[in-house]
Amino acid sequence: MTRQHSPAGQLDRRQLLKLGAGLGAASFFSAANLQAKTIATRARIVILGGGAGGMAMANRLSQRLDGASITIVEPRERHHYQPGWTLVASGVWNPERTVRANTDFLPRRVDWTRTPAVGIDAEQHRVTLADASTLDYDILIVATGLQLNYHLIDGMSPELVGDHGIGSVYASLEAATRTRDAIDAWIAGGGGQGLFTTPPTAIKCAGAPIKMAFTTLSRIKAVERRDAFAMDYFTPSDGMFSQPWISDFLKQRFDREGITRHHGQHLSAIDPGARQAEFTLRDGSTEVRDFDFIHVVPPMSAPDFVKASDLIAKQGPFAGEWLDVDIHTLQHNRYPEVFGIGDVIGAPINKTGASVKAQAPVVEANLVAHLQDQPPSARHDGYTSCPLITDIGKAMLVEFGYDNDLAFLPSFSFIDPKEESWAAWVLKDYLLQPAYYAMLEGRI
Amino acid sequence: MSFTLSGILAVLANALPPFLPLILAMVALLITVQLIGHLRGYRLVNHHCQLTAIVSLLVGISTLWWLPWLTHSRLAFVATLTDWAALIVAALGVAIVTWLVLHPLSYLVRGQLR
Repeated sequence: MTRQHSPAGQLDRRQLLKLGAGLGAASFFSAANLQAKTIATRARIVILGGGAGGMAMANRLSQRLDGASITIVEPRERHHYQPGWTLVASGVWNPERTVRANTDFLPRRVDWTRTPAVGIDAEQHRVTLADASTLDYDILIVATGLQLNYHLIDGMSPELVGDHGIGSVYASLEAATRTRDAIDAWIAGGGGQGLFTTPPTAIKCAGAPIKMAFTTLSRIKAVERRDAFAMDYFTPSDGMFSQPWISDFLKQRFDREGITRHHGQHLSAIDPGARQAEFTLRDGSTEVRDFDFIHVVPPMSAPDFVKASDLIAKQGPFAGEWLDVDIHTLQHNRYPEVFGIGDVIGAPINKTGASVKAQAPVVEANLVAHLQDQPPSARHDGYTSCPLITDIGKAMLVEFGYDNDLAFLPSFSFIDPKEESWAAWVLKDYLLQPAYYAMLEGRI
Repeated sequence: MSFTLSGILAVLANALPPFLPLILAMVALLITVQLIGHLRGYRLVNHHCQLTAIVSLLVGISTLWWLPWLTHSRLAFVATLTDWAALIVAALGVAIVTWLVLHPLSYLVRGQLR
């Protein structure tokens, strides 16, 4: 299945508006596209996943490769703008604002398989689908995203989100909406104990748990009953954030705002009916705490079928959990015809949409080099970005990479990553979503 | 991470559609009022109206309040040099557009009253 192109007379309103806005830019797009030389190839390329990474690669490769057979495996019909879910859960955005049809983005020349993948035979270059059919590939791009392991928290499941004072922005758009409602109910209750957790694994959008704490605090302040609400934040690490300066900043800000920090603890069990949460400490002991509201962030890993394949990391910090790629070339460390992009890869940082924007041109360049029997030359610097919301209405545009102890890599010289600003908030509220969609289309 | 001109235009192509009806309506209003004014003898430099200038200034100043509100924020969060530069440029733009609409309009109204 490929994108259906409407005849000119049947353009819908959205397409017409977009056409109008895009006409002025058309010549520039053409010029930009001509810069990358088209490559003739008969390669069979399979892209696992139609999220940010998969969709961006489908568009880039369909523009770059002439004659390639490109198949994208994506069971969902709708594309979710997940970076918007914290704004949904904070009551700032309507949920509908984060949803688009996959057909809005899928290029004409890409085959769309809706049957989910269930296995990868890396030796045979073969992907198995849920209906037992198979896809053979010459090049595989693993862009599956990650798996939310709610089941690793005893008593927890994503279906509980919205009930018993439980919120979790990660589970789905519906869960983000129910999280908003759970926070509303807690605040309407007039006071009580709120717990905000992070798991002992890498997570996507590592700023989201912090944003949820800050936006909830913002809403509590708005009702002018701050003293009636206790807020506690739990993290298994000693820091608050991977970027050191931001970590120190957050510690000070949490202390100033009266959000109690608990380091070296993670949520291990929950009793929804009793509204009690069990935390495991570094020494293995446990503590039980009552809550009126809890924001649960589940442990995360590569999807089970990726973990079961030979593509998973065998050693090092990502062993058994994440895709084994070179963190700079994004090529698999043992299977050179395999590339990884997005949340699924084993990398010290990088599970954000902004990372995908930086990774996509690297994967494209190194994949083309591989097709031409050349070594990979493009290098990912680890760029990632977090528009860190510190209050509803202001944010910090935190951008950094692997090098120099995760040093800042600001995109705009006029926005200081160390300052909270309205401009950074406006970027998050209005401009990052269009930038994300342009990335999906392979235009940036 | 750097943005090319084509990249910026690609982002704008995705950002503008929701606002295009509003932008087109504003442009249509501006052109219509200016056109009718000019057809009836209005000239920018020959017509003077202090009230128009005052109202345009007030509308521009009001931008400092309603623009942050429109973006789910508030004036108290406008803090950095970039924030203020952006907000002041926006306020100036609103004041100028308001004046360009009200100035010929005041000429037309004055003509009706004579």
